[in-house]
Amino acid sequence: MTVDISLIESLDIFADLKPAEMEQIASLMHKTRVTEGEVIARRGNSAHTCFIVLSGNFMISFNKGRAITLHNKGDVMGCSAFVAPFNYTGTATALTNGEVLSMPGQDFLSLIKSDPALSDKIMKKINEIISDRSPFLTGDI
Amino acid sequence: MYGLDAISAHNGWQLSALGISIVFTGLMILSLIIAQIHKVLEFWDRKHTYWQRIKKLVRRKHRSEETASDLVLPKNVKESTHRFKLLIEQMGEPFSLPKLLGFSKKCGILHSRSSVNELLRAKLIIPDGNGYFLWNHEIEKNIKVSMKTSS
Repeated sequence: MTVDISLIESLDIFADLKPAEMEQIASLMHKTRVTEGEVIARRGNSAHTCFIVLSGNFMISFNKGRAITLHNKGDVMGCSAFVAPFNYTGTATALTNGEVLSMPGQDFLSLIKSDPALSDKIMKKINEIISDRSPFLTGDI
Repeated sequence: MYGLDAISAHNGWQLSALGISIVFTGLMILSLIIAQIHKVLEFWDRKHTYWQRIKKLVRRKHRSEETASDLVLPKNVKESTHRFKLLIEQMGEPFSLPKLLGFSKKCGILHSRSSVNELLRAKLIIPDGNGYFLWNHEIEKNIKVSMKTSS
């Protein structure tokens, strides 16, 4: 399913982008439906894709039984697709039926390599998400 | 009377000073407005984004104002709540959410994930901030009270 630019505009992670940049991002995105119980990313697997929640509820489970739940539009799963060593650090499971935007990590990295301004805006937000979640990975809370 | 004397006699110097100050004040105001035009244009370009942000803030405010008594659990979740509570009591608190889901599946609770999600949304299950979860006894009391008063 193709993605409309107004949908990209409504997402916090892309709020600072210019319309032309949003169009570039939209061209990489695909809408995907998920069903209750579906595992969309598995810990330890190669991280090829990042997911942004459009609807539904999700759980990301980490090691030692730790987990966080995501319930809001714009929540991001699979940031590992943008960060070396490109392996998922958590398992993302759909708690209910829902819809996500998927974005191939390599296509996104190619795009931001050619546009440093875009890279700055998005990677800043992705780093914030990663630093919020890193305590759950390491247990240093 | 001619020349400078005539100018002085008819307040010419004061009038010209006033004229100069009016013109320069006007130019200053105009330059300040022009200097801010990029902000207005940026706002206009991104009006949809700002509108979405306002809507999101309003939604968040409504969500935070939501009280336990406003929460209505679906009937099937009310039934499974007791079973989840027993499981959590067995596991001890704080508990691991993935483990709770694993146990509930073994116990044959149908749609355990969506039921747990309802309990999360109703704030009956709350995160402890360390990646584990707690059973919210306060909300449980409120829900029991609201169930009693409604029946």
